[in-house]
Amino acid sequence: MQLIELQDVGLLFRVRRLGRISFKEYLLNGLFRYSKKNCFEVQALEHINLSVEEGARLGIIGPNGAGKSTLLKLLAGIYPPTTGAHRVVGRVSSLFDISLGFEMEASGWDNIKYRGYLQGETPRSIQSKTKAIAEFSDLGQFLDMPVRYYSAGMRVRLAFSIATAIEPEILLVDEVLQAGDQNFQVKAEQRIKNLISSARVVVVVSHSLESLKGLCDRVLWLDQGRMQMLGPAEEVIAAYLKTKNPPTKAIPAPDDQRKAA
Amino acid sequence: MGYLLKIWQLRHFWLALVRIDLKNRYRRAVIGMGWSLLHPILMTVVLSVVFGTFFGVRDVKYFAPYVLSGLVFWNYISANCMQGCHCFFQGESYIRQHPAPLAIYPLRTMLGAGFHFLLGLAVVLVVVWCINGFGNLPHLIDLVPAFVLLFFFGWSLAILLGVANVMFQDCQHLIEVLLQMLFYLTPVFYPREMLQQRHVEWIANVNPLAVMLELIRMPVLDGKTPSLSCYGIGLLVTCIAVGAAVGTLVRLERRLIFYL
Repeated sequence: MQLIELQDVGLLFRVRRLGRISFKEYLLNGLFRYSKKNCFEVQALEHINLSVEEGARLGIIGPNGAGKSTLLKLLAGIYPPTTGAHRVVGRVSSLFDISLGFEMEASGWDNIKYRGYLQGETPRSIQSKTKAIAEFSDLGQFLDMPVRYYSAGMRVRLAFSIATAIEPEILLVDEVLQAGDQNFQVKAEQRIKNLISSARVVVVVSHSLESLKGLCDRVLWLDQGRMQMLGPAEEVIAAYLKTKNPPTKAIPAPDDQRKAA
Repeated sequence: MGYLLKIWQLRHFWLALVRIDLKNRYRRAVIGMGWSLLHPILMTVVLSVVFGTFFGVRDVKYFAPYVLSGLVFWNYISANCMQGCHCFFQGESYIRQHPAPLAIYPLRTMLGAGFHFLLGLAVVLVVVWCINGFGNLPHLIDLVPAFVLLFFFGWSLAILLGVANVMFQDCQHLIEVLLQMLFYLTPVFYPREMLQQRHVEWIANVNPLAVMLELIRMPVLDGKTPSLSCYGIGLLVTCIAVGAAVGTLVRLERRLIFYL
């Protein structure tokens, strides 16, 4: 069964040259004239055709700004495509931007609840998971503290523990997850591997080509929003390495994230 | 309908957010919830003294709960407008992660404001009971339709201004000025008779906010059922606001994230 289907999907970002504009300017510039002049357009995705069937593990590779994270967000339903049709069947769980989205004044415990509710938990179902989440995060008594006082690493640890405490059908992972200290890193990788083996469909964005080879059976190579190649992991990665000669070690790409946002 | 169902399914989420908003507001205050009440109560005292001394309002016993109910109502409207402006920025990090219905973020704002509104109204009731006795009890049922109207009206306001403020950042300043103007055009803190004396009563008659305020005041202060035309106007205004809000969401719900 096809769980993800994209037909000729395109996504066009309109970026305002001067950031946000004010209502005053909008009126002054004439009602509609500004919209053409003051925007420049970024074709983030173009002619994406993709169908992912049950049990597939798809990797997405490409240089920074190729549209990898954007594609992931489109699959998650956060960005609507501007052209083409897309269909995603099943409960989507996404692991990206996870260190955002905390209520800063609330304690770690409370934030576990909020995130859980957002992911569709009920007070009863979250109660049984809270302890496991707390244990996995290793935050101990810090959970009683408002999240405002957490370090960046602690936030990621908490966010990761909550986001992965679910049984996903469709799992979308962005590699920026690689955070936290060494100990947590090992645990997190193990947890992701477990999730990947239990989910019905997994889509992973990563720069770490070696680990993709192990995780995925198919790989999509994106460049400037277009599909360069889609096929068996080994083949695509070899072709990608030949033309680009990119770094083979994992390098987090904050740049990429910004672009998508 | 599917949209409303989704909102309902996420009720634990937005209710939790409302709870944390309320908790945060009172966390550092010694007298807790009293703070949100203290402001309108003090204002009432000041205004009662001012109007009682300078403007010849003799019936302070009637005037005090009149002003208090006006301020409580006004705080609800202005909170929906001013905080509504920020509702999507406040929820931005959630919006970026999860495709939940956008209407839950204005709902969060509205419910917070609504809580304070009910709290303030309770104080008004206590004051009225102390002064006039329990004569208005059988008419309190008339508040139910008014609450329903205010619920949807406030929610729609927050949605509309939230979206407007995302599109144009200076909206909140415009709104602030507009609200100030409306505040003086609505008989919030001055007696309605003052308009009558100056033959400008039409201001209160065409101002939908004044009509909505009447829907609250009549049962609580006078122990009377508001006229059907009052409810009619309230319903009409609410329907227009809801219609505009729904239209805005249908058009912009999916694309709003590009402007955040």
